[in-house]
Amino acid sequence: MQSDEILTKLKESIIKGNKEEATEHTKSLVEAGFDPTHILEAGIVKATEEVGKLYERMEYYLPDLLIAADAMVAAMDILKPLLKQLFDEKLKGTVLIGAVEGDVHSIGKNLMITLLEGQGYEVVDLGTDVAPAKFVETAKEMKPDVIGLGGLLTTSITTMRDTVLQLRGENINSKIIVGGGILSQEACAMIGADDFATDGWEGLRKIKTFIESIRGS
Amino acid sequence: MVHDWNASIKRIQSVLSGSKRIDRVPYFGFVLEQMITRICGISVRTLFSSPKTYAHSTMMANEYVNTDIITLPTVYAGPGEAIAFAEANDRTNAIKWFDNKTVMVEQGVICKTEEECEKLKIPDHSKVKLWDTTYEAAKIIYQKTNFPQNVGLGIWSVVQQLRGIQAYRDMRENPEVLSTLCEKIYESQMDSYHNWIKKVGPSPFVFYTGYAFNRSMMSFEDAMKYEGQFIKRFQKETGVPFILHNCGFAPYFEEICEKIDFVAVNGSHPLDLNFWKNFKKKFPKVTIIGATIDVNQEILTGTPEDVEAKVKENILALAPGGRYCVGPICELPGNAPLPNIMAISSAIEKYGTYPIKEG
Repeated sequence: MQSDEILTKLKESIIKGNKEEATEHTKSLVEAGFDPTHILEAGIVKATEEVGKLYERMEYYLPDLLIAADAMVAAMDILKPLLKQLFDEKLKGTVLIGAVEGDVHSIGKNLMITLLEGQGYEVVDLGTDVAPAKFVETAKEMKPDVIGLGGLLTTSITTMRDTVLQLRGENINSKIIVGGGILSQEACAMIGADDFATDGWEGLRKIKTFIESIRGS
Repeated sequence: MVHDWNASIKRIQSVLSGSKRIDRVPYFGFVLEQMITRICGISVRTLFSSPKTYAHSTMMANEYVNTDIITLPTVYAGPGEAIAFAEANDRTNAIKWFDNKTVMVEQGVICKTEEECEKLKIPDHSKVKLWDTTYEAAKIIYQKTNFPQNVGLGIWSVVQQLRGIQAYRDMRENPEVLSTLCEKIYESQMDSYHNWIKKVGPSPFVFYTGYAFNRSMMSFEDAMKYEGQFIKRFQKETGVPFILHNCGFAPYFEEICEKIDFVAVNGSHPLDLNFWKNFKKKFPKVTIIGATIDVNQEILTGTPEDVEAKVKENILALAPGGRYCVGPICELPGNAPLPNIMAISSAIEKYGTYPIKEG
């Protein structure tokens, strides 16, 4: 099979959410000597864009988005060491994420993490019911590009505001995005975050934009 | 002023039956743990410490907020049911208590693996302390108010609690495991229902939490497979009317009402009154509870005047002809300004007295 053909197959396998095929095609491309950055940009990123369009057109739903993201992660697992060798630094950007204190819902947060990892971002997951002090402590150590605060409960809006206040009070200047179906422009303004997202796909787009503005695309 | 629960019962019965003999628009407000503990100045642990405390605090908070319904927080097929599963499967370490918030189970912990799904034990609700306290508290409320206490059921809300995000992978990669889990939850929900009938009395309707019916999460076909078919079975088994609750932001209200009979739908999305006006025309026998009154909008971030305007707008658009209840979706949030909460019942008093002319 020609390398371009394998690249097409890689994209298709990600779109279909087939982890095994995505792994196999990525390995074949690496073995054929393809530039890892090209595999990432022309394969994984292009496939992601297509998955996003399908999701936005409601031809794909959360399960399809999730298994496509799993296939991206599988491909990225092969590329990550090679990309790190090339750039000798943290991959594409770093994100610190967690569900805020008092909220133990994890579905949205876990989807967000899978989507981010599928794009090659380094993600630190603090889990659920995370106290503001824990976000502050970890952000000081890790200096993430973006901090994502998630929540499902209406009461989480107040907790998100408290967390943002503490982060800013400690001079942590990472971009802060809040995520969850509860959010609106008004709620985001009340929280004092830089932006908000009501679903994982929107969150991915906005975090990518933040990181590109920080690190350059 | 003493709360007139008999008048509330009449209002709710009238609105659900489509009777024109109704004095004003009912207030279908959920006063749950956050608001009860805030109003009564107690913690959630204290609230659940005895049936008497649970019942009296719930009555006090509902009467303060001036709702026309009174229901217990546990009776909602999500966290309460997950707690029953946690206890039956020796996973109480997954239960998280908060001072003033709903007691929760960490999502995806109880059925993390396929084996855990397959070996999942069905709870006997009469042996779960929280449920037993709830049955006793419901009896007290019924005795004190005459307000019939209703059961809450649901499948997907419980799936999400037990299996977490893995449930969405299962839909494509492991549908048999997911179907087995849904069957087990169905069995557990029927146990909860039968215990309720035995210990509390008949449930005039079932409040059904249908979280699968959300277009941002799954296709309508999948929603029917993992939730809809179970609703039909529940309906056949219980023989009582169902109210469908979905507080997501892209619910399949029209699609599901074409397939399954509901006496009412309870949601706040889409936030477009024209959708709800058309829904009322298309489904004239389905009562609308809520429409565009979203707890995350005016009630949380606005002023009492904003809340009044929102309630007024909904009443004038949907209450003429009946079959409409004001209902902020979802539970009244414990962090919302109290003047905003109180503005809801004031606005109903001001604009919701029949006859109401279309605005």
